[in-house]
Amino acid sequence: MDLIRPSSPLQEDTAPSKAVARTTALHGSSRRRPRTVVAVAAAAMAAGLLLSGCGGGAATPGAENAAAADPASAAGASGSINICGGKDASGIYKGTAEAFTKANGKVTAQYTEIGATTDEARTQAVQRLEGKSTECDIFLTDVIWTSEFASQGWLLDQTKLVEANRDRLIPSTVETAKYEDKYWASPFFTNAGLVYYQKDKVAKPETWQQLYAEAAAAPGNGFVYQGKQYEGLTVNFLEMLYSAGGEVLDSKGEVKIDSPETREVLDFMSQGLKDGSAERAVLTYNEDPARLAYESGNYGYQRNWPHVFRLLNATPLAGSFGVAPLPAWEGGKASGVLGGWNLAISAHSTNQAGAVAFIDFATNPDWQKHVAMDFSQAPVNEAAYSDAAVLAKMPFATELLASVKGAKPRPISPVYPQISQAIYKNVYAVLSGAASTEDAVKTMAEEITTAKASF
Amino acid sequence: MALKSLSASRGVNSRGVNSRGVSGRDRAERRVAIRMTAPSLVLMALVAAVPIGYALWLSLNQYSVRTAGLSRFVGLENYITALSGPHWWAAFGQTFLFAGLSVSLELVLGTAMALLLNLAFKGRALLRTVVLLPYAVVTVVSAITWETMFAPNLGLVTNVLSTLGLPGGDVVWLGEHGYAMAVIVLADVWKTTPFAALIILAGLQVISAETYEAAELDGASKWQAFVHITLPLLRPAIVLAAIFRTMDALRVFDLPFVLTRGANGTESMSMLAYTQLRENRLVGEGSALSILTFLTVMAVSVVYIRFAGGNIREVAKEEQ
Repeated sequence: MDLIRPSSPLQEDTAPSKAVARTTALHGSSRRRPRTVVAVAAAAMAAGLLLSGCGGGAATPGAENAAAADPASAAGASGSINICGGKDASGIYKGTAEAFTKANGKVTAQYTEIGATTDEARTQAVQRLEGKSTECDIFLTDVIWTSEFASQGWLLDQTKLVEANRDRLIPSTVETAKYEDKYWASPFFTNAGLVYYQKDKVAKPETWQQLYAEAAAAPGNGFVYQGKQYEGLTVNFLEMLYSAGGEVLDSKGEVKIDSPETREVLDFMSQGLKDGSAERAVLTYNEDPARLAYESGNYGYQRNWPHVFRLLNATPLAGSFGVAPLPAWEGGKASGVLGGWNLAISAHSTNQAGAVAFIDFATNPDWQKHVAMDFSQAPVNEAAYSDAAVLAKMPFATELLASVKGAKPRPISPVYPQISQAIYKNVYAVLSGAASTEDAVKTMAEEITTAKASF
Repeated sequence: MALKSLSASRGVNSRGVNSRGVSGRDRAERRVAIRMTAPSLVLMALVAAVPIGYALWLSLNQYSVRTAGLSRFVGLENYITALSGPHWWAAFGQTFLFAGLSVSLELVLGTAMALLLNLAFKGRALLRTVVLLPYAVVTVVSAITWETMFAPNLGLVTNVLSTLGLPGGDVVWLGEHGYAMAVIVLADVWKTTPFAALIILAGLQVISAETYEAAELDGASKWQAFVHITLPLLRPAIVLAAIFRTMDALRVFDLPFVLTRGANGTESMSMLAYTQLRENRLVGEGSALSILTFLTVMAVSVVYIRFAGGNIREVAKEEQ
């Protein structure tokens, strides 16, 4: 797998002849003895694993000297552009590329799938960007990738473009593209958590405290969420932390996770597992198992993403459930966490004008309505949510807009993956009973500080 | 393939004369052998040694995400970081626990399975094929199947247990340390016992029937024959199976990755290295963890071979 990937500049620059010689000496001297053969076999087997060590790239310009996209260039654009991203499950990527080609007339756009899952798409994008590939003009980036990609000098600075389009974009969605006071992508569609509730059993959730209390009140009222040890748990935890007024990093990037709010939320969540508000089973749930469990009809509340609406409507629960924005913490203001995908222009794109034209098209209010109507994704344009045609297809658009507008980005840092791990591993440890709140908070803060230092 | 290279590289000739007591003809044959194996040795060096050397080099450098590939030589700093933190040792302990449990179960069950398959009965060939099926399933696919079976409420296993009123029906199998480890061990045993059985079966088939006839004449019971004849003669095959399985088990990645994502104390050494390398792009530390994993696996296999080297030679000879 890694053997055939395009060679990275690092491999050419620093190929370690000395280290090779050392290893050969290690094995070469005793070739005749049987144990060496097995050792070599072991070496060969381990090699696959070790190979994944080939990362990095040659010196890159870094975020500070990146080139900027020119909003005016769209007018004179021609040629073709290639948009790269993950699996196109809803058809939105290909659909947008086709509609753009038809509407624009001068620029042709095509979509290339570079990975089946989000993780794979990121790996593939990183490899292309590190290798200065010109294959992709635009990368679809998960909102949490922006800082990392921008900090490497891989993206075109889109500040001017975002400023020109600002009035058409929901402010919270734009913030996901920000890194060091500049914007590195334009939001394409967004995503925010919602609470689905059984109207016959429980009331619409206003606060987390009320939701948990009602969930514990009767068997069959329980709350299902995403509690598996993965990114989704970070999101579920941050939604509660943000609404409780806590934060991970402050605006200066200082670590603020070691706070009374973090302790309060962790205690609250683990108490919820003890008193039956949520079953222990949520510790194994990501999005789909949570949805499937909820579809059994044995629960009162479910925290999940908007796409679940359509799926729930195809079950016997259709008609009996309501959709609400994420609740607030008692005495506070609701605040979720933003998901969604942005459009970033590769610093190595050979048709930047074409890419700008595409972004103009994809973010314009007309097309944003189609984003909701044709592909069931959350638009980044506020007007779309009150459009009659959109409401017909997405009756919970008002709740979704409330969730999106109230939501904040996840911690903005080039080492976000490590920060997220520090969060989900330690939150999981508390929920599963393997660690005390106090220990977990301390470890979490330490690990986030270490992660930041590795940048 | 491993067996062939084992004997080829040791210069065991067709008559089984060890290369230490060599005649002139043997020496000529050996030269031919060396010339014939040289291309594959070079290829092996390229495939195995170069990447390992490269990883070794990476592990001695510090790569920060900011400098994107510009490295700084830091000597053993990455190793010190890895060895002084709790993650490596936790993963180390858990991986050995996993390997110990799964390999011993696989050897016991594999031996039983091999004895069964060695019996003469109708449909034996079919059964031999059937028992190998789990081994043919891609690990990730089987891991997903196990995850589904042990899912709370909806999973087949939890459903059956709770319907029958048996204990375990209300256990969140993948959400508790002991249980999660049990599922991972079970998944591994299910998949690779047939492999162990196959190696042991090969060992079983070279034990001649006469040995047993002689034992029977001497008045040995079936059990005595098993303990005093079958097991000792089978030892090389069992050791070989143990080596292969232990090395595999110590590098376990896909089962915990799919089943728990390393939660509940099931993170393996390989998973830890992967996370640092791939997800966190900590090239230096991740490479150091890979090298540590590699050294651990190698150390264990060297111990095995020291311990049972002679037996392996016998097996290699017999398998030819």
